Amino acid sequence: MNPRDDADVIVVGGGHAGVEAAHAAAVMGARTLLVTGDPAKICTLACNPSIGGSAKGQLVREIDALGGAMGRIADRSSLHVRFLNESKGPAVRALRAQVDKDRYASEATALLHSLRNLTIVGALVDDLIIVADLNGRSRVRGVVTSDGRRFSAPCVVLATGTFLGGRIVCGEATEPAGRLGEAPATELAQTLRRLGFPTGRLKTGTPPRVAARSVDYAAMREQPPSATPLVFSYRSPVEFAGPQLPCHIVSTNEATHALVRENLHRSPLYGLDLIRGIGPRYCPSIEDKVVKFSHNPAHLIFVEPEGWAADSLYIGGFSTSLPADIQAAMLRTLPGLERAEMLRPGYAVEYDYVPPTELFASLETRRVAGLYHCGQLNGTSGYEEAAAQGLIAGINATRAARDLEPVVLARSEAYIGVLIDDLVTRGVDEPYRMLSSRAEHRVVLRHDNADRRLSQLGHALGLLPDDAHAAFESRRDALDRALDAARVTRTPGGTVAEVLRRPTARAADVAAYLPGAGDVLERVAIEIKLAGYVKRQEVAIARAARGEETLVPDEFPFATVNALSREAREKFARYRPRSLGAAARLPGISPADVAILGVALHRARRTPPERLTAPA
Amino acid sequence: MPAFDASDTVAAIATAPGRGAVAIVRLSGALALTIAARIFRTPRPLVPRVATLGEVIDEAGAAIDRGLGLAFPAPHSYTGEDVVELHVHGSPAIARDTLLAALAAGARLANPGEFTRRAYLHGKLDLTAAEAVGELIEAEQRGHARAALARVSGGLASEIDARRATLDAIAEDLGAALDFPDEVAEPEPRALARRIDEVDSALGELARSWEAGRLVREGVAIALVGPPNAGKSSLLNALLGADRALVSEVAGTTRDTIDETLALGDGVVARLTDTAGLRAGADALEVAGVARSEAALAGATIALVVIDGSRPLTVEARTVLAKTRGRERLVFFNKADLGDGGFAEREAAETSALCGSVHDVRDVARVRVALRTLAGGENVDLARPYLGTARQADGVLEARRALALAKATLANGEPIDLVASDLGHARAALAGITARDADETLLDAIFARFCIGK
Repeated sequence: MNPRDDADVIVVGGGHAGVEAAHAAAVMGARTLLVTGDPAKICTLACNPSIGGSAKGQLVREIDALGGAMGRIADRSSLHVRFLNESKGPAVRALRAQVDKDRYASEATALLHSLRNLTIVGALVDDLIIVADLNGRSRVRGVVTSDGRRFSAPCVVLATGTFLGGRIVCGEATEPAGRLGEAPATELAQTLRRLGFPTGRLKTGTPPRVAARSVDYAAMREQPPSATPLVFSYRSPVEFAGPQLPCHIVSTNEATHALVRENLHRSPLYGLDLIRGIGPRYCPSIEDKVVKFSHNPAHLIFVEPEGWAADSLYIGGFSTSLPADIQAAMLRTLPGLERAEMLRPGYAVEYDYVPPTELFASLETRRVAGLYHCGQLNGTSGYEEAAAQGLIAGINATRAARDLEPVVLARSEAYIGVLIDDLVTRGVDEPYRMLSSRAEHRVVLRHDNADRRLSQLGHALGLLPDDAHAAFESRRDALDRALDAARVTRTPGGTVAEVLRRPTARAADVAAYLPGAGDVLERVAIEIKLAGYVKRQEVAIARAARGEETLVPDEFPFATVNALSREAREKFARYRPRSLGAAARLPGISPADVAILGVALHRARRTPPERLTAPA
Repeated sequence: MPAFDASDTVAAIATAPGRGAVAIVRLSGALALTIAARIFRTPRPLVPRVATLGEVIDEAGAAIDRGLGLAFPAPHSYTGEDVVELHVHGSPAIARDTLLAALAAGARLANPGEFTRRAYLHGKLDLTAAEAVGELIEAEQRGHARAALARVSGGLASEIDARRATLDAIAEDLGAALDFPDEVAEPEPRALARRIDEVDSALGELARSWEAGRLVREGVAIALVGPPNAGKSSLLNALLGADRALVSEVAGTTRDTIDETLALGDGVVARLTDTAGLRAGADALEVAGVARSEAALAGATIALVVIDGSRPLTVEARTVLAKTRGRERLVFFNKADLGDGGFAEREAAETSALCGSVHDVRDVARVRVALRTLAGGENVDLARPYLGTARQADGVLEARRALALAKATLANGEPIDLVASDLGHARAALAGITARDADETLLDAIFARFCIGK
């Protein structure tokens, strides 16, 4: 850390990734500068008004357990919370909160303003200050804003979202923009290309918004919120943030689909061919749904409030870039929306991303030392995915400024580890969303045990405050005590543990026998029920860890390993797997290539080759 | 692990030993073309995959033979490396001299199976195919060769892949229900159980092929025992003589006792150990021989006991019968042509006994059939793929253990994620058999099949 620098860490972008990065850096004690186009739009929920959900809820929980901000912000603004997958298993149980968008942004802004080390600057960053270090490698030294100001820092985190070369498309109309009505970052996109970064084009979209006063809920199926308060953060009081509102579900019908089909020639995706970027498969536009799943007579549409006071409804599942007049007509084919007043049409946004294979697992770029990429810039989609990367980029930028080793979470440790490993080892070919199916060790990556997995680390990093850490330790000790008690406390049906192992048993059944358990009773039940599955998973984790322990040196000359197939040589050189395990996870890599790489690594190291035999 | 040096170029005679029309010397590695240019004189350089007539010469430049040269540049060759084949006249001496010339020009003699190992290492064969090629090279027996061939063409791999496809489809259904709970319904438990059962019983079938596979692969160990002069050697000769062409010494197992390989028919092979004789009251010289015989008996799966049936049981005969009682055995009461020492009763008294004469081919055939039955030969169906290695069998067993857990999890009414967890282990175990990645394609399939997303 150099006191002559303007900051230790500069974060570019005030979205979900940038805010999490800036928050982490500032809490860890780095002098932090957050440079964002419009400081009044910090943490805008540009698309759906919800946080969490399957796998994403686990990400929020992990961010919180490490000391991040997202969970607490969501808890202060949630107007409809619900556990998903409650009947499908403790490991996939995930919290989702519908939030008040304005409240969410104002809570985030307030949280940032409370941090002493953080300064927020309203400006667009056009350029990066780059120097060559002693080894001739490029190193970032700061940023230059469009109004000509220069800010110096040893580490810069880029979190530019959809603003990099952003372009909005709605029917025949297109305009350069990062979000509706906000200018894109065109210069910065050029800067990155000049530095040699490859860029690709991705697309995402958002559905229309409808005036709440113009719809008839009686014609829709109601989705009630949880009757009891639920929170993401271990640090939040367990209480409702405000009145809880229902969501509603309707279905499309033949009239909707006919309108789509008749107007495909006016679709930027189909007829007009205006969009080249690749969109996410898990979030298809209504055009895609009608065309690619034409055998489905109806598609579900989710009507979600955007705030307590807001008149605006988010029409989930209705993402489209058809012209506004068609959108309005399509909305009116839906039950309860016959007289719907469209407040804002849906649109598609196309933007540049930099392949995340350009990154180390620390999220630092390989090309430019001190430069970190996170969020949609890396080809991900989703607030939670962005925040998770922002958190890790913020932590590692701060550590790098202090000459400390980066933090890398394992796939068996956190969804965050799965997310980043997937990104940096395999890259993306569509906007990347976290899914529980991506986490092979998900039995151990649960909502309930996120603190146990990560809070010790969060505290050691200087991110999780002492009081939160103390609370974690007392929860942990209470859980351990209750688990011990469960093994020895007898009930008429055997010990508490034996009772809980029965499939139909619930935590409540044994509550009377574990009076001291209190808050951790539910966790006792989960731990005991899952013990067998966790044990088997640990065997698989240990097996996978062997590949992870065989590290590939950063400068390893893949091109000189002649025995590798040409394809493998090129892939390894391009993706630069950091371990033998990461090499094996690359798509299209054969076990033979992995075996050969193992031999070559062994030669390079000259240690006994016990584990380098052909894969069995 | 076997030594693997990519910089070496290896050479070997690729055709079977002995005299044939053509012998092939194969070179593989980075220097294959260079070495070929030194030892094979042609008017024009070799063109890839075109046979060119030329002259094989030794170090001194003297001609060894005229023949054809074929070059297969990497990666389009069997091993994935540069390969050259020299086709010379099928005399062992010419083949040997050609090989020696290649070695003198810089090649190293290939280790057994090294071409196949290189092919595997270059991703030319999956693991099961590579293992099967290894067996094919060693297989001398027709049935054995066919079974190995079935696997070269991916018989086992496609069998395993078919089971994996079902598990993948289940995993897709479960994954979609877990990740898109608002839009995709949970699979119905009974239908789910049926699909898991289907995979499990197919794998059970495959697991049973492991025992049968071992019979085909390794053969069953049979110890030939009996008192002297009971007719052991005659029986051995009769068994072997009936099908001489299929007999050979098993390489590398030469010991004092004589090991012969015996075809029992339809792919089942026996390794027959002729013991010196289990004789009571042997002199000092014979003690060592008896000890070896006892060891052979202990190591055998089946004891083939030969007794002179034409006269009452001697003390030695009783000893042998007592020693082999309670184990897998076939008792052959020999010398029925010389007289009846109570054959009928004896055959009835023993659970597995035959009476007859080694001189009657029908009796010898009955012995052969009985041995095959004892060895479990009915389970061998060479038209089906079978598990050929312990690694493959372990994979199937591990997958079945995981499936049993998945079924229990489901039957207990546990949530579907835990079923998915068990199935994940089963998928990983099967993926290990063909050594391909289990999760790579799952998500693609989910998105292709389900219309999901808000």
